[in-house]
Amino acid sequence: MSGSNPDHRTINAGESLADDATRLDGLAKATGDARYSRDHLRDDMRWVRLIRCPWGKATLESLDRDAALAVPGVTEVVISGDAGDYDGDSIGYIVAENRRALERGLDALDARWARAACKTGILDDERARAPIGAPEGDAADAIDASDFTFEATYSTPVQTHSSLETHGMMIEPDGEGAIVHASTQGTFLVADQIGRFLGKRRSRIVVDCEYIGGGFGSKFQIGKEGAAAGLAAKSSGVPVYSFCDRREEHLDTGNRPSLLCKIKLGHDADGTIRGARIETLGGTGVSSRGGGARIPSGRFDLGAVDGQNHQNVQFNAGGPRAMRAPGCPQGAFVEELMLDEVAHRCGLDPLALRRRLDGSERRGEMYDVAARLIGWSDRPDTGSQDGPMRTGYGIATCDWGKGRAPAKIEVVVHPDGHLEVRTGTQDIGTGQRTAMGAVVAERIGVPLANISVAIGDSRLPSGPASGGSVCTPSTAPAAMAAADLARDRILADVAERDGLDVTTLRIDDGIVKSGDRSIVRWEDACKRLPEPISVMGEFNARPNAYWGDGSSEGVQAARVEVDCETGQVFVREVVAIQSCGLPLVRKPAESQIIGGVIQGASYALFEEQVLDPATGAVLNANFENYKILGAKDCPKIVPVLWRDGQTGVRALGEPPVIPTAAAIANAVFNAIGRPVRDLPLRPDRILAALAEPVPERVAAATTTKTEVRA
Amino acid sequence: MKPFAYTSPRSTNDASSLATSKDHALPVLKTGGMDLLDRMKEGLETPGLVIDLTRIDDPALDRIESGRIGGRATLAAVSDADVIRESTPMIAQACGSAATPQVRNVASVAGNLLQETRCWYWRMAQFDCVRKGGEGCPAREGEHRFHALFPEGPCLMVHPSNLAPALLLLDGSVDVVGGNRTSIPMADLQPDPAKDWRSTSVLAPGEIVTAVRFDPAPNSGFVALKQKQSFDWPMVSGYAVLDLDGDVIRSARTCAGAVAPRPRLLPAVDAALAGVSITDDEAIRKACEASIEGAAPLPGTAYKKTLLPVAIRRAVMAAANPGGEA
Repeated sequence: MSGSNPDHRTINAGESLADDATRLDGLAKATGDARYSRDHLRDDMRWVRLIRCPWGKATLESLDRDAALAVPGVTEVVISGDAGDYDGDSIGYIVAENRRALERGLDALDARWARAACKTGILDDERARAPIGAPEGDAADAIDASDFTFEATYSTPVQTHSSLETHGMMIEPDGEGAIVHASTQGTFLVADQIGRFLGKRRSRIVVDCEYIGGGFGSKFQIGKEGAAAGLAAKSSGVPVYSFCDRREEHLDTGNRPSLLCKIKLGHDADGTIRGARIETLGGTGVSSRGGGARIPSGRFDLGAVDGQNHQNVQFNAGGPRAMRAPGCPQGAFVEELMLDEVAHRCGLDPLALRRRLDGSERRGEMYDVAARLIGWSDRPDTGSQDGPMRTGYGIATCDWGKGRAPAKIEVVVHPDGHLEVRTGTQDIGTGQRTAMGAVVAERIGVPLANISVAIGDSRLPSGPASGGSVCTPSTAPAAMAAADLARDRILADVAERDGLDVTTLRIDDGIVKSGDRSIVRWEDACKRLPEPISVMGEFNARPNAYWGDGSSEGVQAARVEVDCETGQVFVREVVAIQSCGLPLVRKPAESQIIGGVIQGASYALFEEQVLDPATGAVLNANFENYKILGAKDCPKIVPVLWRDGQTGVRALGEPPVIPTAAAIANAVFNAIGRPVRDLPLRPDRILAALAEPVPERVAAATTTKTEVRA
Repeated sequence: MKPFAYTSPRSTNDASSLATSKDHALPVLKTGGMDLLDRMKEGLETPGLVIDLTRIDDPALDRIESGRIGGRATLAAVSDADVIRESTPMIAQACGSAATPQVRNVASVAGNLLQETRCWYWRMAQFDCVRKGGEGCPAREGEHRFHALFPEGPCLMVHPSNLAPALLLLDGSVDVVGGNRTSIPMADLQPDPAKDWRSTSVLAPGEIVTAVRFDPAPNSGFVALKQKQSFDWPMVSGYAVLDLDGDVIRSARTCAGAVAPRPRLLPAVDAALAGVSITDDEAIRKACEASIEGAAPLPGTAYKKTLLPVAIRRAVMAAANPGGEA
C-alpha cells in the first residue's frame, strides 16, 4: 500500500542551497512580535471606512450625510456615487476619530437602497447555455477524421484570495512626506500609486511593509480602501487607518474568476487526440477583463486546437484580480480531467496517456517518481469498485514560465563581522527574507547567524513585486552578485595584508583559508575594516550565470477516499513534485509547495463564492460559510524538490497550486467511476454523479466512426 | 458593534435580576459568547447590557455527572469527561464534533442549546425574513442547500445545536432558575416552529439554564455528516439510543439533526428497528429508510434525503458498538 513512502525531509536532503536553515522571522511571526501593516495603530489616527452597496444592483434612495457628520468624532463624509453594481461596491467613504464613531456614523448615514434586477453568475448568461460552436479550421477536419468525438462542459467557481491580513494601509503624513504602512505585495508599486491621492512627491513617500499576511496576487494595487486612506490623509493631514473588514475582504478585493468551459474533441481508439475545439467563458463580475483560463496549457499534444474562443461574462459581483497562477488551476482542472475521461474511454491508464501526450522529458521522469511515491500500482480500474468507501488515484501537471524583473540587493559588511542584507522587496510569505540571508551566507561562507535582513521598505534598494513568481528568481541573482562583491573585497584585503595570492583564498564556515590552511577568522578580517563596506548587487533581468534556465515543471499525484453513501471526499495524500532550478532554503521552499497543495485542495473540495440569485448579495463573505480547508481536511503532503542541476533559481510560488485540484478531481473520477465536472467537489455533486451510469468505453469495441455524446 | 454595558455577577440570582432590570435595554446572557459575538457584530442583536455568567461562583454550573451536566460546562469538558463518554457516548460525541477545539474550549452546553440558526439569510442584516418579523423566506427561492428537508412553518431554518437532539432523545430536561418553574422538558424548550417561528426557546427574560438532565444511555451513538471535517456544521446528523438484547434491538429511539427547525424524532424508524438484529444489515438499512418519510425537499436540499438514512444507520451502528470505530 501507499502511505509508506519516505519522509520528504529525507527525499529533499541535500537538494537546497541551505538545507537546515530555519526562517529568520519564524519566531517573530509565531509569537506575534512581527508587526504587520495592520498592527500600526496610533491613538491620534483617524479611521476610514468605505460606504458600500449591500446588493447586487441597487440605487441609493436616501442617505443622511448631515446626521452622520453630526455624530461626535465623525470628521468627514465623502459621497461620490448613488448606485452600486455589486455587493460591496462603494459610493464614498466616512472618516472618524475612532472606530466607535466610525460605526455610529455609518449607522447614522442610514443609507436606503432600491434593489434592481441583477445577474449572479456565468449561468445567468445565455452564452453559457448555448451548445458548443462548430469547430473551425484544421481542428474541424481533425475532429472529423477521428474515430470518436467527445463533448463535455466543465465549470469552476469564484475563489476569493482570503488573505488573513485584510487589504489596507495606515498612512502617517509627515510634512512634505508620508510613511505608508501598506499590506502589499508591491512595496514600490504602492509608493508609485499612493502619491496621487496624498498629493505628495514620490520622492517623499516611504512605503513600509515589513510583514504581510497574505496577498496571492490581490495586493498589487492600493485599492479603493487605499485611495480613500490617501484622500483622507491629504484632507486631514493626520494619520489615517483604512483596512477592510473580513466581509469587505471577500467582496471587493478581487478573486479567481469563475470558468465555464465547453470542449469538443476528436480522438482515436489508442487515445491519440487529433483535434479539439475549446470555448471558455470567464466570469469577471463587473469587470470586463481578467476572466481568461490557460487551456490548452500546451503541456499536452491535443492535435489541431481551435482554442481562441474566450469571452468574458459580466455579472453583478466584485471583479477578479490576479490570483496565484491566474487562469491555471481552472484550466488544469478542465484539461487534466478531460484527458482522464479520454483515457477511460480508450481503456488506458491515464498516466500512460500522459506519457504519450506530454513532450516534457523532465515531467516524464517526474511521472515515474510520483507514481512510485503515491503507490500508483495500487490504483483500481475506474468504475471497478463498489462498497461505500472507494479509493482513487489521480495525477496532474503544471509548468510555469520564465519571467524575470530587475532587482538590486545591497550587502553591508560591518567591522564586527555582521552583515546586513538590504532589499526593498517585500516577503509575501515565501521566505524571501530567509532566502536572501541564506544566499549571502552560503555564497560568502559565513553562518546565517551573522546576517540580518532588512526588507519591505521603499527606502531600500528596489526590486520586483511578488508576482509571476519572479521575485526570488530575480532577487537571488542580485544577492549572489552582492555576496560575491563583498567576499571579494574582504579577500582582496586579506591577500594584500598577508601577502597571499587572492585566487587561492576562500571562506569556509567563517574562516578565510588558503587551500587547507586557515588564515584568519572572518570576524578578525572584518575588524581591520576602517568603516563598513557597502556593495550593490544588480540583476538586469537578462540571462547570466545565476539565471535559472527553462521553466519550472511539476507533477502531482493524489490519493482520495470517497464515501459513496454521503458524497464526502477525503483527500488522503498528495505527492507534489516541483522543479524550481536551485532551491534556496529547504523549509520555505517545501512550504511553498505544501501551501500550494493546501490551497489547491481547498479549491477542489470547498471554496466557492455563493451569491443570492435574487438579490446578488454574497451569502458567504466570512470564514464560516466560505469554506476553506481545515486541519482535519488536510491530506498528508509530500513535497518533492526536484533538483535539475541548475545553479540559478526559478519560479516556485505559483506552479504548485496549479495541478492539485485537477489531480484530486481525477482521483475522484477513478474512485467513483464518473467524472465530476464542476468544482468544488461537493457531496451533493458526488451523489448526483453516482446516480449516473459509468461512462462507456468506446475504443475497445471497434474503430468504426461513432458519435458518442458525453 | 454597538456599545453596551458589561457586568459579571457572582451569583445566578443576581444575573437573573439583571436580566430583567429595566435599567438597560435588551439585556442578554453570555457564557462562551461564541454565537452572541457573531450576532452583535452583524447588528442582529444590540443588547444594552451583556451579563457574563462566567464569573458566577457556583461549581454546580460546571459539574459533569452521569445524567446531569452543568449549563456552563464547556463542550470540550463534556466531550473529554469519562463519565459521559462511558455512560452516554452520544452526548460526548455530539459535543466533541462541534466547531473547533478553540470554540469548544469556551462554548457552553446551555449556549449550544440556545444558539441561533446558522441560516445565512437570517445571519445577514440586509435580509428581512419571517424569522426576523418580516415577510417571506429568501432561502426558499434562493440558496438553501443547508436548509430544511422537513420544513415546519414558514421559516426554512434548521436547528443548529448538536446537543439538543441528543437530549430530546434521552427524555432530557433543562434546569432553570429565575422564573416560576425549575425545569423544562427538552421537548418543550423550543416552541412549535409551525406556530412560533421566531423564538429560539420558551425561556422568559431572567430565566437561566443551570443544567441539563437526561437518562444515561451507554448504547447511544451520534454521527455528523459534514462537508468539512474541521469547523463545519453538519449537513445532516443522526442520533440513536438502543436497548439491546444480545444482538437484537429490543427497542430503539432515533433522531435527526440539521434537517428541520427542531430536532426531528423518527418514530417510524424506531418501530422498524424493533426486533431487528444489529447484524442484519439489510433490515437496518430498510428501517432507516423510514427516516425520510414526510420529507419535502427543495431543489437544493434533495441530497439530504440520501444522507439522512445513512446518518441514522451509522448512528445505530455506533450505538450498538459504543467505544468502537464509528
